[in-house]
Amino acid sequence: MSNAQIEIQLIASLVAIACAIPGTFLVLRKMAMISDAISHSILPGIVVGFFITHDLGSPILILLATLAGVVTVVLVEYIQKTGLVKEDTAIGLVFPALFSIGVILIKKNADDIHLDVDAVLLGELAYAPFDRLLVSGVDLGPKSLWIVGAILMITIILLFAFFKELKLSTFDKGLAASLGFSPVIIHYGLMTVSSITTVGAFDAVGAILVVALMIAPAATAYLLTTDLKKMLFLSIVFGVFSAISGYWFAHWLDASIAGSITTMLGVLFLLVYLFAPNKGVIAVLYREKQQRTEVSLLTFLLHLKNHDEERERHVNHLNEHINWQKVRSKTVLELALKNNMIIIDNNIVSLTSKGDEFTTQAIDYIITNEDAQIEDMKDDFFLFRG
Amino acid sequence: MDIQEYFSLVFSDYTLRTITLGTAILGAVTGMLGSFAVLRKQSLLGDAISHAALPGIAISFLITGAKDSNTLLLGALVSGLIGTFWIRGIITKTHLKSDTALGLILSLFFGFGMLLLTFIQKQPNANQAGLDKYLFGQAATLVESDVWMMAIVTGICLFVLLLFWKEFKILLFDKDYAKTLGFNTKTIDILITSFIVLAIVLGLQTVGVVLMSAMLLAPAAAARQWTNSLATMVFLAALFGAFSGVFGTAISASQNNLSTGPVIVLVAAVFVFISFIFSPSRGLLFKQIRFIKNRRDLQLHKTLAFMYNIAETHDDISHPHEIKILNNFQGFTKGTLKKLVEKNYVTLQGSTWSLTNEGFKSASNLYNQLTKNDE
Repeated sequence: MSNAQIEIQLIASLVAIACAIPGTFLVLRKMAMISDAISHSILPGIVVGFFITHDLGSPILILLATLAGVVTVVLVEYIQKTGLVKEDTAIGLVFPALFSIGVILIKKNADDIHLDVDAVLLGELAYAPFDRLLVSGVDLGPKSLWIVGAILMITIILLFAFFKELKLSTFDKGLAASLGFSPVIIHYGLMTVSSITTVGAFDAVGAILVVALMIAPAATAYLLTTDLKKMLFLSIVFGVFSAISGYWFAHWLDASIAGSITTMLGVLFLLVYLFAPNKGVIAVLYREKQQRTEVSLLTFLLHLKNHDEERERHVNHLNEHINWQKVRSKTVLELALKNNMIIIDNNIVSLTSKGDEFTTQAIDYIITNEDAQIEDMKDDFFLFRG
Repeated sequence: MDIQEYFSLVFSDYTLRTITLGTAILGAVTGMLGSFAVLRKQSLLGDAISHAALPGIAISFLITGAKDSNTLLLGALVSGLIGTFWIRGIITKTHLKSDTALGLILSLFFGFGMLLLTFIQKQPNANQAGLDKYLFGQAATLVESDVWMMAIVTGICLFVLLLFWKEFKILLFDKDYAKTLGFNTKTIDILITSFIVLAIVLGLQTVGVVLMSAMLLAPAAAARQWTNSLATMVFLAALFGAFSGVFGTAISASQNNLSTGPVIVLVAAVFVFISFIFSPSRGLLFKQIRFIKNRRDLQLHKTLAFMYNIAETHDDISHPHEIKILNNFQGFTKGTLKKLVEKNYVTLQGSTWSLTNEGFKSASNLYNQLTKNDE
């Protein structure tokens, strides 16, 4: 590994961490699309800043672009407050307009500005190590490493300083407000940090990757845990993992690093989306199927309890009267048998004492409108689940 | 070329005519379908879909190796649909919220698309140049066959829209009711979403991935301000969209170095801006005027009520009182007094005022809602 390669991976990892922290809160606060809006609408700020300074790394440019990001948030909120359109429409109206202004500014001044819209959207991490920070002739490393590092430091300090406030206002706005934490200040603080992170990172990795690095690791982590600290930790791990593996994938493919990191994030999310233990799609589908069978079982047991006639309790009756398919009735019967709820004698089904007890309790819960309790009851009675 | 020249050339010049027609049709169809997206609170879906279309374009180029816009758009359509249904899957099957799902799919698909695009650029195939026009769109590359394609799709959209108008409408405003009536809401839902995806994909070549969502939203958001009727809104949105297309093309053609996509978006944004402010029933301007008028009415009523309370204590209701005693009362100004005199509720004599019979009557009925025409 050459020096430049290490530096690229370092920058990518730092960006990933710096994005994962505000990203987690954005996802939890249902404001993920705001980060997309910010990442687009910082463009006019960048262009104007570049006009003035002619340097992509200058603090004035970062300040102006951050301002553009905050202006977006304010505008979106203002439009929402008028009640003329819904929140999401407001977002969708503001950022394309600002982005268009940026694109037109660039195109109109193409001779003065050596700024490519592609570069703003996509960044080029591969060139980041070439732009070095020189202080009185001493090479201190790549400029973007310093910028991203500084932003990360600020983010971490703010996170530790205001963790309690952030947590409270994220999960219970009303309580936070009544305890005297101003939700408005925390909201705009978070928005400002998101803007700064977006601006600081776009130079290295591009605006779109910033969005991906903010939302994807947090969303992936959210599928695995509901603990805020664990979620923060996991999203940082996912971010850094994608950054490093993405770099090598791009290296192997000889393609855009930003695109490749995003792809790694996508693969990671897809895996977790499918296979997460409790909230993954497969687990959810399995649970839904299980619950369907168990509901059928309950219906069947209730039916048995209601009828003493042999005709109503005959196995074939299941197919004929309750209109179940063969497979379905077979699964239900087997499940009931395995759990010792019923005995089948000469194709006549009758409840065991355990089955009777279960059914009686279930009826109690149903008539007292406490259906939810049945879920807990199942744990006591079922040896095997559906 | 200035704008006048543009309009004289638009009917004779092939390129200009094609582009203008193309953007106009595009604006109309996106405006039309955008109305549904906006009303279904799926405004940002367009943004996600347009970004999600990018890998489709790259993959269909990788497979066919051809740059025929129809095949590329077919790829875009497929990947846009995959993106849309994945978003839906995330929202229904997990506890992630819609904004997260949208942002996720948007950025992941776009990043993957960029990976493929940069990968294609490194390929030893001279044909690959120009794929990046789908990023920001290049209306100038429109040819007549593209416009025909747009016209046909618009025609189909219009046909389906008219055919299923009732179903779309009921799904839009009362989904549960539609279900109880026996409509297959899932099919209608998929149908309308697919058409939205189709409209977005059509616009990629002209406006580009990044700005396409605004084409969908802006005309619809503008149209929403002028009417409460769905039919009128769809019609107005189509109109606004078409005009944004034409004006945008005109402005960008009349200047150097102006790309068409962003200008169209800005023109559409101007439409929205004007609608937000000047729409008679919802607009901010008239709302403010109504607000001020209401406040003035209230002040007038308060003054009258105060006078009534004073006059009530006297046997003669027209007993004159000093104006000075009103001064401490909040809401009293010379203006309100003058207005009351104009209405003949109060007469002035030197520095005193007295309530007239008429004024006394309307004041006593002030809170009985009998004086509706009172101003």
